Amino acid sequence: MNSKVKIGLLHSLIRRDEKLLIDEINGRDDAELVMIDDREISFSLKKSQTTEADIILERCINHYRALHALQLFEDSGILCINKSTVASICGSKFETSLMLKQHNVPQPEVRIAFTEKSALEAIEDMGYPVVMKPAVGSWGRLIAKVSTREAAEAILEHKTTLGTYHHSVFYIQQYVEKNGRDIRSFVVGDECIAAVYRTSEHWITNTARGAVATNCPISDELAEISKAAAKAVGGGILAIDVFETEGGLMVNEVNYTMEFKNSIKPTGVNIPEKIVDYVVQCGRENLNG
Amino acid sequence: MALNAQCPVCDAEISLPDDTVKDELFECEECGSELVVASVNPFEIEEAPEIEEDWGE
Repeated sequence: MNSKVKIGLLHSLIRRDEKLLIDEINGRDDAELVMIDDREISFSLKKSQTTEADIILERCINHYRALHALQLFEDSGILCINKSTVASICGSKFETSLMLKQHNVPQPEVRIAFTEKSALEAIEDMGYPVVMKPAVGSWGRLIAKVSTREAAEAILEHKTTLGTYHHSVFYIQQYVEKNGRDIRSFVVGDECIAAVYRTSEHWITNTARGAVATNCPISDELAEISKAAAKAVGGGILAIDVFETEGGLMVNEVNYTMEFKNSIKPTGVNIPEKIVDYVVQCGRENLNG
Repeated sequence: MALNAQCPVCDAEISLPDDTVKDELFECEECGSELVVASVNPFEIEEAPEIEEDWGE
């Protein structure tokens, strides 16, 4: 009989998503849970990081803690899911867009600018409305739909004056009319396991902002673009935000510490089970060389 | 057996299942405050930290 794969759950606060993963791991015969609290660990560059875990499943709530912890664990030869390179790409909307472009994955037009003047020129050239997003950010926070030149000038000035330095890397995306919904698809390994429509009267359709999730059938086109987006950022366990447009599906964002708690019931897919299946499989392959 | 405590914000009685884990986030049903389990044994709860800039997915 195969021994249990020891899964190190790298975490800080335990959201409903992490609790579902904990319950899944604890309920299995082929996995053992090792809790790794990112608030209690420190790393020395003089020696290898040790852990009793065979594989690490990253579930930190802070992006930068996740990124650096993954880099340091990987430096000590410990297999991590997702990989630090995936965290780095998905943690930056700019890097994500760059990878999507390099892998020919359809996405809305994006412009990057570094000054108020050049950003305003880019927005005027694209035409209104546009969406401005922090290069690092989540849950729809601090994103702005910009419909006029006056609004663009105000937001650019506010970002420059009030924001930290990374708000002065202006990420500008073409506004896509979503007609009240977008799609979130879930990719685990080589499979698109589930998808939901996220519907809201607000133009921001994050479930963290009150959008309602309902099941979205996985068409061939959706599976294909979802897997292509996941592959573009390095693969693993990823949630893809997708726009439906007249020209076909487009990828908006890719999330690497995906939240799935609101999508289990509408899809009927046991997402935490699929995640742990994948982690056990990767851990076992790694142990067997 | 349920774990019992009072909401640190509104004093409402809080009762959580016995599989509750340290650092688990939950919401007070009375006042809607976001709370976190500071300790399971003894059972202690406190207000959850404010959202930080790099929190999220």
